[in-house]
Amino acid sequence: MEFNIHSIVFLIFSVITLGGGLGTVTSRNLIHGAVYLIVSLFGVAGLFILLSAPFLAAIQVLVYIGAIAILIIFAVMLTRSMTRMTEIYNRQWSLSLVVSALLFVLLLVGIILPVWGPGTANAALQPSELVATTVDLGVAFVDGNQFVLPFEVASLLLTAAMIGAIVIARDRD
Amino acid sequence: MVPLWMYLFVAAALFCIGAYGVFARRNAVAILMGIELMLNAVNINLVAFWRYQTPFVMSGQVFAAFVFVVAAAEAAVGLAIIISIYRNRRSVIVEDVDLLKW
Amino acid sequence: MGNEFDFLTHLPAIMPEIGLAILAIVVLGLDLFLPESRRRSIALVAGIGLAALALTPLLWGPPAVPTGIGPEEQNQVLLFWGGMVRHDVLAQVFKVMVLLAGAFTSLMSIDVNGIGRKGEFYLTIIVATLGASLMSAAADLIMIFVALETTTIPLYILAGFKRNDGRSAESGMKYFLFGSFMSAVMLYGLSLLYGFTGQTNIYALADFLTSPAFGENPVPVLGAMVLILVGFGFKISAVPFHFWTPDVYEGAPTPVTAYVSVASKAASFALLLRFLVAVFPADMMIGGAEIHGFWVQLAAVTAVITMTLGNVVALAQRNIKRLLAYSSIAQAGYTLIGLAAIGAQEQSVAAVAFYMFMYTFTNLLAFAVVVLFSEATGSETIADLAGLSRRSPWLALTMTIALLSLGGVPPAAGFFGKFFLFQAAVAADLTWLAIYGVLMSIIALYYYLVVVKVMYVDRSEDESKPIPMSRPYAWVLGVTSIAVLILGTVGAQVVFDWALANASTLFA
Repeated sequence: MEFNIHSIVFLIFSVITLGGGLGTVTSRNLIHGAVYLIVSLFGVAGLFILLSAPFLAAIQVLVYIGAIAILIIFAVMLTRSMTRMTEIYNRQWSLSLVVSALLFVLLLVGIILPVWGPGTANAALQPSELVATTVDLGVAFVDGNQFVLPFEVASLLLTAAMIGAIVIARDRD
Repeated sequence: MVPLWMYLFVAAALFCIGAYGVFARRNAVAILMGIELMLNAVNINLVAFWRYQTPFVMSGQVFAAFVFVVAAAEAAVGLAIIISIYRNRRSVIVEDVDLLKW
Repeated sequence: MGNEFDFLTHLPAIMPEIGLAILAIVVLGLDLFLPESRRRSIALVAGIGLAALALTPLLWGPPAVPTGIGPEEQNQVLLFWGGMVRHDVLAQVFKVMVLLAGAFTSLMSIDVNGIGRKGEFYLTIIVATLGASLMSAAADLIMIFVALETTTIPLYILAGFKRNDGRSAESGMKYFLFGSFMSAVMLYGLSLLYGFTGQTNIYALADFLTSPAFGENPVPVLGAMVLILVGFGFKISAVPFHFWTPDVYEGAPTPVTAYVSVASKAASFALLLRFLVAVFPADMMIGGAEIHGFWVQLAAVTAVITMTLGNVVALAQRNIKRLLAYSSIAQAGYTLIGLAAIGAQEQSVAAVAFYMFMYTFTNLLAFAVVVLFSEATGSETIADLAGLSRRSPWLALTMTIALLSLGGVPPAAGFFGKFFLFQAAVAADLTWLAIYGVLMSIIALYYYLVVVKVMYVDRSEDESKPIPMSRPYAWVLGVTSIAVLILGTVGAQVVFDWALANASTLFA
């Protein structure tokens, strides 16, 4: 692999993504954790742009960072007692570390490297010069021969989730 | 461009970091953040597969978009439940919530 | 796009879902406009509406499949909405089941304190039913994911719906944390399947997985399969992913427990059956390894562990909802026998469908009695059921029917349910599994009969206080117990033969 601008940018975004992820799961203060989460989500948005999916990158920033991460920060502030918690991990944190590391190794050695790793037929796979655009994505969502059914169902799911969340979180009737 | 497996490597690493957060943290909000990281890892997977293997069939991107939708719904419902339990028990530490046997 | 999309030809495949969407809006509107004193009728509208919609899968049945055509042509006839759903008999049967489960759940919520008069509660049940109904038909990885979450996320809401009750909130939180973690794991597996093939339609996956271009190494496929089965294991509460079940079942409002134990489980079994048969079919070989044999053995082992744990732990329970929770774990174990017996083809599918069908009625009946009892007395312990036969003979009788059916005693439906499952296991050369299932049913009989004994023999000082029962409950109890009795006597062979004759569309 030669070093060009693309691979350097990939490296930067990957480090942001994974570093933010590590910060999220290790921060003692949950507000810091939420900020790290935002950093990590930005890294993912960058990877989406590298993968020529600008629409998803925009959604990532708008929905994930703009809505979900902010919602999490709200929740942290509404349930404030634990921002000054003395211990963040449960008793099995060392076991959890082993399990997660093992899972990573298994995924890598068992699935990813044998199918797509260096030396396999898929390793030389290069993305095409031309790629479908956001217009194609939009058409796919509303085309009866493609994904209109899950699209409509997802909107019902969001409605039910919103109403349910309001009912549960409301203070009094 | 970088080979496909590098994207998958990053995704697998992010997935396992998220899983570690779910396994090890005591606070329900922190566990939720771990789950969000896992969902993002899946999205990197999906978009990378789409870009490298079938850039003209939109299913990978569509799949990723539905993951966004579900993540949003999950976060809204989950945080509402967490707030409700905090109101009842003044705690969202998973181990403190033990009216039912854990 | 080559072929023009004709809306009307695709409409029959999602008739129940369209009806559910309309019903959801009606319920929401009623909640807005009805005064507090008349909110009780929302439950009736939702219940009767869902029951009426249970007819739609029968009225708009799957298209006739010409005999003697290959799998490709068969899928062309049966796949709708761009391959998102497969409108076949399996989907039809399970859609009726989940719609009936939704109907009875709505009716049995009517007098429950804190949820009965809330339109939002019924709205959430209707959306969950919509998801479950689509799960029974989903034929595309994307549709599977969306349908699964459309079922599960409303269930988190329902479990935590009584927000002033700490137990309900806690149940909701546990369900949410486990559920969303498991679905993330499953989603990762689904993304890998998509990566292997570039396809999302489950009927197209198998061809790509076996193509030489994919490779000779079975480990990646098995790995992805295990990740996906973890998610399914959670949904059907198979051991070792059962640990959430007792707590969630105990803490959630009782009608919700009934719904989770029936609708969500039945739809998950339908999806699991369709998914495994389509993606990892009987003749599938990758690099000399039998992928099919792997999941069959996995199902057999899981069935054994699940039955054992469910039944043994159930023996020690004092709370009736926890007892029914462990019982439902054990029931999932029995159903897994049917899955492991997939070598018997149509017979296995028909047995699983019949078992889930009769289990739907049986468990709803049992939980309806628990709802009535705990609303009247505020107690959920088994010991407090003492003297129920004198307090309310009908309640005790219907509960007895439900327990006998769960235990597999004729004339209740459970007997034939288990009989067909074990018969399929024997036909698939899994006689040892059938024998183990019989042994387990005998152990299970003990804890079911203990409850019957408490109701009929034990005395209590509250015997003079009758348990009030309003008309909707009488309807629920009457209809479900008659259904259980019919399925256990004259109806059993008829329904099973019908399922057997139509199950072949699942196998290409």
